[in-house]
Amino acid sequence: MDNNGTNSTNGTAEGAFTPPPPKSFWTNLTLPTLYLIILIGSLYTFSSLYRRRQLAKAAKLEPWFPAHKQRDIYLSLLHIDPAEASDSGAGEKQLKNVPDSILKAALLRRAVEDIQRIVQLRSSKPALQTLLQRGSVGDDLWQRFQRAEQEMEAEVKDVVNEANAFAQGWGQVIFQSANEINQNRIIKERIAELQSQLEPEKSRWEQKRAGIQSDFMKELEEDSKPGEAEKKPAKEKKGSSDDDAVLVDAGGPTQAQGQGGGGGGGAKKRKGKK
Amino acid sequence: MDAAETFNQIPLSIDPATKAISTSDPSLQDEIDELNRVHRAFVGLETPNGIPPPPAPVNPKRSVQITKLRESGNGSYKKGAYPEAIKMYELAMRMASDRPPWEASGLVREELSALYNNRAQSFMAQQMWPEGALDAEVAVEMKRVANIKGWWRRGQCLKEMGRLEEAADWVRQGLDFERAGPEKQQVGELEALQRELNKALDKS
Repeated sequence: MDNNGTNSTNGTAEGAFTPPPPKSFWTNLTLPTLYLIILIGSLYTFSSLYRRRQLAKAAKLEPWFPAHKQRDIYLSLLHIDPAEASDSGAGEKQLKNVPDSILKAALLRRAVEDIQRIVQLRSSKPALQTLLQRGSVGDDLWQRFQRAEQEMEAEVKDVVNEANAFAQGWGQVIFQSANEINQNRIIKERIAELQSQLEPEKSRWEQKRAGIQSDFMKELEEDSKPGEAEKKPAKEKKGSSDDDAVLVDAGGPTQAQGQGGGGGGGAKKRKGKK
Repeated sequence: MDAAETFNQIPLSIDPATKAISTSDPSLQDEIDELNRVHRAFVGLETPNGIPPPPAPVNPKRSVQITKLRESGNGSYKKGAYPEAIKMYELAMRMASDRPPWEASGLVREELSALYNNRAQSFMAQQMWPEGALDAEVAVEMKRVANIKGWWRRGQCLKEMGRLEEAADWVRQGLDFERAGPEKQQVGELEALQRELNKALDKS
């Protein structure tokens, strides 16, 4: 401004032609700079706005998994104030801190949940990739998936670190243990599911057996009507059918038992050797 | 807003005497129960640093007991005391499924498969076909290959119950598994059952 001022005073003093050159020099410099500033500024604002909006959009995407309960519990236990949390009756002793064993158990539970999530991610990845290539699912879903993968990676590292903090070397084993826990859970669920079929299967068999029996009786009655002479063998038959429907195919089960028993014995012998 | 840095604080409380955790949030009750169960298993641990041991070498005590129970069950079976045998097998099953959860699941599968197989046999000896069929199915579920007995037993039970088509399906499936498995020399029994089933199906 000062320069401008002196320039202009100089200009008025020396004449009408001398001032334009410096003025044009300044405008020459200002215009490009202004141009550059506006250009760069607008580009920057655009990109930052765009990026912020993208981030907001990604953040708004639903997470792949629901809230990690086990992780929340573990961290809550870490941050808990034990004296406050142990809802003490008046004279009872208060805990100084949360016992390690509880924290360890909570950490193991967390690892089990992680294993389940990892299994789920791994099993759904190929299908998702195919669907994405065909264009059957949107980009959003893929973004959510990738974010879940990243989060799981961080989560696993975190669990390993925590485990190593409790006991040296636990970090290497904790996910093995968690995996076995998961497998054992699957086994138990499967057995319970199969065994829950027992009652319906049983009643179905009872019904069927009753059906077979009554059919058989009817047949016998029809057989026994014509001719008194045939009555005797029919009666005998009847007697056998009363015992059990199983006797109808008497050859089958006894034979089967013989076979099965022998076979079972063989199997047991082999087990004994082990 | 990084999810890795945040967590939801959950209202928890600890019983100072039993050290059991409880929560006021009913939706978390199942999880908390599970946690307390795992915690009890932790307290019973005998390892020096109080962490569960790696899954591979398990405490042999329990395996020995299970084997013993199974063998006394087998003894009763041979004497013809089937209900007795079933009771023994059930005890052994309970022992096998009460193992600490972090012990090798492969071992649990192996043991349970053998036990369910034996129990199926005892049921079959008493002509309790539905029970036998289910137990054999569980045995196969636990161990799909090298388990010809299991496949055969369920096939046989289904046949006895007159569910021939199901039985034929089941046996075919079993043959598919076993022919590729390590016991492929011994599929004869299963093949015989298949022939029987096919004959019965043709007739009807």
